[in-house]
Amino acid sequence: MTADASTQVTELTADDHACLTFGEAEELFDLTAAFVRDGLAAGLKVMWLSDAGPGIAVKELTRRGIAVEPAMAAGQLAADGCEGRLLSGQAFSADAAVGWLSGQVAASREQGFRGLRIAVDMGWALRPVTGVEELPRFEEGIAAALAGTTASVLCQYDRERFDPVTLASVAGFHTRSVAAATYYADAVLRICRQYAPPGVRIAGELDYQAEEPLARALAEAVRLEGDLVVNMEGLAFIDARCTLMIADAARTMAASARMVTLRCPPEVASGFVRLGMAGVPGVRLVTADE
Amino acid sequence: MSDQGYRPAGQPGRAEAGRGAGPAGPPSLDQNFDAGSLYALRAAVAAHAAAAGLSPQRVYDVVVTAHELAANSVVHGPGHGRLRLWAGDGFLYCQVSDDGPAEPEPAVTGNAAETGNAAGAGDAAGAGMPWHAEHGHGLWVVGQVADKVSVDHGRAGTTVTASFGITPS
Repeated sequence: MTADASTQVTELTADDHACLTFGEAEELFDLTAAFVRDGLAAGLKVMWLSDAGPGIAVKELTRRGIAVEPAMAAGQLAADGCEGRLLSGQAFSADAAVGWLSGQVAASREQGFRGLRIAVDMGWALRPVTGVEELPRFEEGIAAALAGTTASVLCQYDRERFDPVTLASVAGFHTRSVAAATYYADAVLRICRQYAPPGVRIAGELDYQAEEPLARALAEAVRLEGDLVVNMEGLAFIDARCTLMIADAARTMAASARMVTLRCPPEVASGFVRLGMAGVPGVRLVTADE
Repeated sequence: MSDQGYRPAGQPGRAEAGRGAGPAGPPSLDQNFDAGSLYALRAAVAAHAAAAGLSPQRVYDVVVTAHELAANSVVHGPGHGRLRLWAGDGFLYCQVSDDGPAEPEPAVTGNAAETGNAAGAGDAAGAGMPWHAEHGHGLWVVGQVADKVSVDHGRAGTTVTASFGITPS
């Protein structure tokens, strides 16, 4: 599928049936966290079905600033596996799955929520599950089940693992396609927007040759509201030029009373320390020492 | 700061550990580069610096130095050059040469230029250092992280040699 990322995950509305494609786990967790965060803030019931299982889901959402425990205790948030919901005994039936979804829409209404948001990691369909050929019919059924409701579904497809034919066959049933805004991506570098918490994520090796996409990413981040994170946890190398650009952007934002967090491995942090960034008010230099 | 800490006395075995035979010995790495091969150059330098016994932070400093010197040749010099890396006398040497004209370059302004620098000081930005200057900023960083830097503008081109003390583990 040619995912024209015309829609940002933060722009989804009620009764959307969106197709999210992602390239790595970090991106999936980030986009899902934004989807969950905005749903909870709007007073919706939020569910995330994934292979990751409740434990990892809770950890990844919490790490991104979502108050998972109280939302779960209040019955507003649920994170579950697909078995017993979309799947039954590792078998898939489009009718049964759509039936389960309709039941959830009705239940959330009875529980008094203004609507329902469900994110579904479609990774289960990559396993030898009986009935997986009904996937397009399921996607078609979702559209019908959502019509006239205040429920929305975000189907999550790993674009590296799903073949283009499958992605193309389900794309048409979605009302929108969603992907992380990506400024640069090749084998050694990825610069994309981060949604939860908001900012920029840079992974791989960054040098002056990627100066233009870095400048675009920083310029766009400056235009976002509120505090900002430059997530460089996955950055193995940064040259002097790009260190300087990020430091300058952080100084600019901090000067307008916004908290800027630079999150990076110790070696990358040393470059920012050298520029005096450890002592700039409004700038937090966090060393990810994992 | 001085470089005394990186010059362990009575360590004749260090050259051996560094896979080199001293400043004049054969380099453990000898690689040509251009704009398209900086990534591969960094990977090779990282591997050789780690093998020479440097700590992860110092390996990173050597990689930064190799990259900045090479990028300088690519961007401000002839667009290509040659990098050599070798160990000897308790030091790891990183040398970048190109055959470009000796265009006036900003001086290496870090502590290392005169006295040697042990740890990459964090106090420089507030002290009016020219870190906002585009051209020359990379060389400033090299001056900060390397223990010693020497620049030779010859008729055949420019050669910059940076050295890093190999601390005994």
